[in-house]
Parts: sequence; C-alpha cells; structure tokens
Amino acid sequence: MALRELSSLEKSLGLKKSNKYSTQGDGKVPVLQNSKGPALVGLVTIAGHLVREAKSPELLGRTAEQRAVVQQWLEYRVTRVDKCPKEEVKVVLKELNEYLQDKVYLAGNNFTLADTLMYYGLHGIVVSLAIQEKEQYLNVTRWFDHIQHYPGVRHHLPPVVVLRNRVYPGIHH
Amino acid sequence: MKLFVSEGNPHCLKVLAVLELTGVKCDVQHVNHEEKVVPFLSRTVLPALLLPTEDYLFSTNAICQYLSETSGLGTGEDSSQWLEWEATELQPAVMQALHMMVLHGKAAHASQALEGPLGYLEQSLSKRNMLFLTAETVAVTDVILWAALYPVLTGSLLQAGELKAVRAWFERVNLLPACETALQKVFKSKELDVLKGFLHKQPNPLIQQKDNQSCN
Repeated sequence: MALRELSSLEKSLGLKKSNKYSTQGDGKVPVLQNSKGPALVGLVTIAGHLVREAKSPELLGRTAEQRAVVQQWLEYRVTRVDKCPKEEVKVVLKELNEYLQDKVYLAGNNFTLADTLMYYGLHGIVVSLAIQEKEQYLNVTRWFDHIQHYPGVRHHLPPVVVLRNRVYPGIHH
Repeated sequence: MKLFVSEGNPHCLKVLAVLELTGVKCDVQHVNHEEKVVPFLSRTVLPALLLPTEDYLFSTNAICQYLSETSGLGTGEDSSQWLEWEATELQPAVMQALHMMVLHGKAAHASQALEGPLGYLEQSLSKRNMLFLTAETVAVTDVILWAALYPVLTGSLLQAGELKAVRAWFERVNLLPACETALQKVFKSKELDVLKGFLHKQPNPLIQQKDNQSCN
C-alpha cells in the first residue's frame, strides 16, 4: 500500500525518475535507498524527501505554523489512520469531520502533502462507507471529493462516488 | 501562544524540555488530565499548543518542531526520520511498557515490549559513533527521544546492561539544564507512580495491539 502510494506521489509531484522502494519489519515500513547518504525510512520521511526533490517546499507548509499543522496531520495519518482498529474508525472520522468543518484543506487554505497522504490513507475507509455514513461525515466527504479531483492526486486509486446533494435530508430519512 | 500541560504526563516532559532548550516565550497553563482543550478531538490530548493563528497543535512532536523552528534552532536534517520512528515505533512500545510496569507491576513484560526499539536505538548510536543522535552537539531530536525514554530508562525499571550506547547517550542528555528543569515540573517526586493518573486515562495499549493484529 505505502509503496504504490509513494509512486503515485512521485507522479503527482512531476518527478521524472521513479525510485525503487523496499519495506522493513512487520509493519512493512517503506525504505528508500539513497545514493547520497543513508537509507530513508518511513512514509512521512520519504514523502517529505520527495517533496523537497520536486522543489515544492510549499507542500510542507508556507509558514512555521502551517508547517507544524502539516507535520501533525502527517503523524496522525501514520499513527491513527494506519492500522486503525475497527472500533476506532468512527472516532477518526468524527475527529476529522469536526476539524474540517471550517476548512478547505487540512492546513487551512492551502493544499499540502497532508491532504495527499490523508486521502491515500482514508481511501479504503471512505470507499466502504454507506451513503448515510457519508452524509454523517459530510465535511470529510466534501474534503475527500475535493482532493480526489485535485489535479494529479488520484492516480492508483479508483474514484469514490460522492453525492453532492443529500439523499436523506432531515425528517424524510 | 498558549501551551496546555498536565502533571505526571510523560508527553508534557517533552514539550517543557524543548521549551526550556529553545527559550521560546510561551504562556504555560497547567490543567488536569481530563480537561478537553482541543475542541475537535474526541479524547483529551495533552500537551496542546494554541498557535497565534488560533489553530491547535495536539501532536507533541509537532509542538516541539514548531518551538524549535520559531526559536531559529531548527530540528536538524535527520530529525524527520527519528521523529517518525519515535511516533510510530517507540511511543507505542513505551506506552505498553509503562502500562505493564506502573499499573500491573510486571517489569519483565515491560522490558520485553521495549526490546525491539531499544535494540534499534543502540545499533544506530553505536554505528554512528557520535556524542548525540544526529551530530556531536545536542539537537532538539535528542531531547524529544530522551523525554520519551525517561520514564523507562530512569531508576531500576529496566536492566539495560547491554545497551551501553543508549545509556551513555541518555546520561549526556540527562545532564542538560533544560531537561532537569522540565523534570521538576512534570515528575515532581521522580517516582513513576506520578504517571498513574495519566495512564488510567489512556486507552489500554494491550487491547489496541491485539485488535491491530486481528484485523491486519
């Protein structure tokens, strides 16, 4: 999963040369052998490295505050969303839904690496949501749809159908 | 900018030590373990930092990175990898070990949980042969990892006879005045019992781990 995600990220960043990755440990942590130095280990670390290679540092945030927010959601992705026990899925969706209530992107008004990696990480969860659940987590769904249509992001993942109008408005449900 | 911390919370040791080290001016407010500070999170998560932009940071490592960036100290080149490892590999093992040790009194199980991550740290430190993790001088990353390991490496909890490089590195960081000051604020008595209140409020790491195994 993480490896396909990294090659999609390479494409979306417009990197010409694609890297070969391996994994280590039970958690299948991605590893990138680096000709310039020691190997890079971990999804967030490698993704950050790719963004710098592509000379798009703004994807890691434009200000110190935004950079911290981006790091925070990247960490949330690898610690909370990945290996999320079934009963925790709803907690994660609820938290993201509340957070995204007044936001266009995870770091506010700018698209960042946090959006890309969170989108990849949540894809499997959002695909399996019933229509009612998609409406329950409306802010997550809206953000998800926005990111999957963001130029160059989707790549290896199938699009998820998101209805733009509510099927179950209020009392008719 | 406002930092919310609680006593006997090992994560707060991290941010307070980094705050001391970087010298950033910040209003620190002590709250109890149950206080819900970050509005969008379902559980109480401390420490939390309210940014000048009105955003909340609830990730301890993101708070530390922010403090070091605004102080001009930076986190160093290799920091990203160490911080990711800390959050994904070390932290779950430390929480499991503390749970076993402090709440159940099972020291042997605690050591077992830490074997993998401590072995990896020992190997990395002895391979590089530098005074600190990323350089010959101390970096914010050292303080973050020191704080993460403090509850399990201090005192007699762990017999780390084999971990020579880890021990030597840990003692070097331990001597920093910033670490000493932060310790006094979080672990007043220096006994691990001070963590009990915090640990009781955390989801049981043992149950979570079992679930992870069954659904992966």
